[in-house]
Amino acid sequence: MSKVRRSGLTMPVVTARFIDKAWMRGCDFITLDLEDSVPRHLKAHARSLVREAIPNVSKGGAEAFVRINHDTVEEDLEAVVWPGLRRIKYPKAETAAEIRRLDEIVTRLERDRGMEAGSVEIDASIETALGVTNVGEIASASPRVREFGATTGGYDLSRDLGVEMFVGFDQFVYPRGEAELVARALGLEVRTAPFVANRSGSVSDPDRAYTQARAARLCGLHLGGGGLNPAVVDGHNRGLTPTPEDVRDAQWVLEQYAGIGQSSDTWREIGGRIVDRYEAARARDTLDWAAACAARDREKAEAVARAKAAAGNT
Amino acid sequence: MSMLQSMKRRSWLLVPASRPDEVEQAASSGADVVVLDFSEFVAPRDKAAARARAAAMIDSLHARGVQVFAQTDSVAMTEDVGACVRAGLSGIVLSRAESAQQVRCLSAMLDTREAASRLPRGAIAIVPSLETARGNRDGYDIACASTRVWGLTPGRADLVMDLRPEPSGELHLMPYLMQRLVIVAGAAGKVPLGAWWRAPDRGLLATPENTYQAGVRGRAIGFRGAMCLLPAQVKALNEAYA
Repeated sequence: MSKVRRSGLTMPVVTARFIDKAWMRGCDFITLDLEDSVPRHLKAHARSLVREAIPNVSKGGAEAFVRINHDTVEEDLEAVVWPGLRRIKYPKAETAAEIRRLDEIVTRLERDRGMEAGSVEIDASIETALGVTNVGEIASASPRVREFGATTGGYDLSRDLGVEMFVGFDQFVYPRGEAELVARALGLEVRTAPFVANRSGSVSDPDRAYTQARAARLCGLHLGGGGLNPAVVDGHNRGLTPTPEDVRDAQWVLEQYAGIGQSSDTWREIGGRIVDRYEAARARDTLDWAAACAARDREKAEAVARAKAAAGNT
Repeated sequence: MSMLQSMKRRSWLLVPASRPDEVEQAASSGADVVVLDFSEFVAPRDKAAARARAAAMIDSLHARGVQVFAQTDSVAMTEDVGACVRAGLSGIVLSRAESAQQVRCLSAMLDTREAASRLPRGAIAIVPSLETARGNRDGYDIACASTRVWGLTPGRADLVMDLRPEPSGELHLMPYLMQRLVIVAGAAGKVPLGAWWRAPDRGLLATPENTYQAGVRGRAIGFRGAMCLLPAQVKALNEAYA
């Protein structure tokens, strides 16, 4: 079962009012951004803020990630690989050599700074045509790459390829398919999203956030792509969590499947539905995932309670 | 295109080898190919009995003018192939084919069995079923692994890979996988087999009309025949792939 990473917010590490409230947003992860949302003249300042921002944004139970810049890997990693960091998001990944270089630097920093070896993941973002072409070598370049997919939103990829963002059909069939097939073949967690039309272009619509996340859950997906606006967090959390009805349905499927048991049947039609080992596997996945989500929600609630108590004591 | 590859194989009806009554119905279904399944729909406890009846079922189907394939998997390949290789068998569908090595292994096994049964070498074809992520990723190498490979099919990839319906009705990832398989088969000079299913249809629940539509869409993207699970779906595929 994958880590529970349904919801996340990406925020510029230089904007204190976002950073200071991040722990109260209910996110499974927070991505501190050094890249697109930080203007060039603030990059050095931004780097100096990351070490303290990591525990700050994660005190409500969120995992802390950092998005670095494609072109200043060394300086950025020196500034961000500190205890508490769970993942480096590397934008515009295009070759295995880039990922191997990241891996070497992160490995050295983990050792020098007393961090668990191999604990920092690398999230290789596929955002360019060359990246799509090389998904196989990129995804297999380092064991730190544990989740993989081409795009859940598509902003950078659409810019690189000249693909329109807001259309009524799935314009990323090929790049998403290439990346997902590689992820599955390598046994990595798949990060993708089913196609749900977004003609308005809204990135802050809570209903759309829920609809999109629920569609992903019904597709059997686990991981959320995160967002930019706090209004989407709750929709992503709820949408990717099995509902009580989902859980009851899964239990029903497993009961029916147990009835097939050691018979000569490999499937039965029950109430207009097929019950077989595939449906049983889906049902088990739903139950496992529901339990993992519940455990994660408890963990976050406890962390928030601790953080509030600590704030009250100062 | 060789004569073998231009052979009329529009509809492939899969039938559990453990169900003699269903095999009997399949014989008169009008299917171009009956696939005697030993893998997907046969409970473990029934496998030995199914193999014991294989020769008689193949002879009977063959005598009635039906082309017969047998479906096995890499786990039970030796036993299933051993039970099925004989004059009336046209080929093997290799379920969950994952590597070129598996296909070479099957091909070598067929070399030996054909010789033992005094069949012409290469008489028995192979159709790898690309149902896993690795199988699809390595589809081209799999298709090229043996001259016996006649065609490729996505089989039940949607179930094996757990690809569920998207809001659009498409099965997640399947439009990509199907088009990829058509390209891979074409590049290797093999025949792509498949139908473009959409939710809520799925093999066992698809009506003849929906099967026909899936066949029409499948043909439109380059498939040249398709597998199905019920005799009532055969006519739809024969018409869609006519």
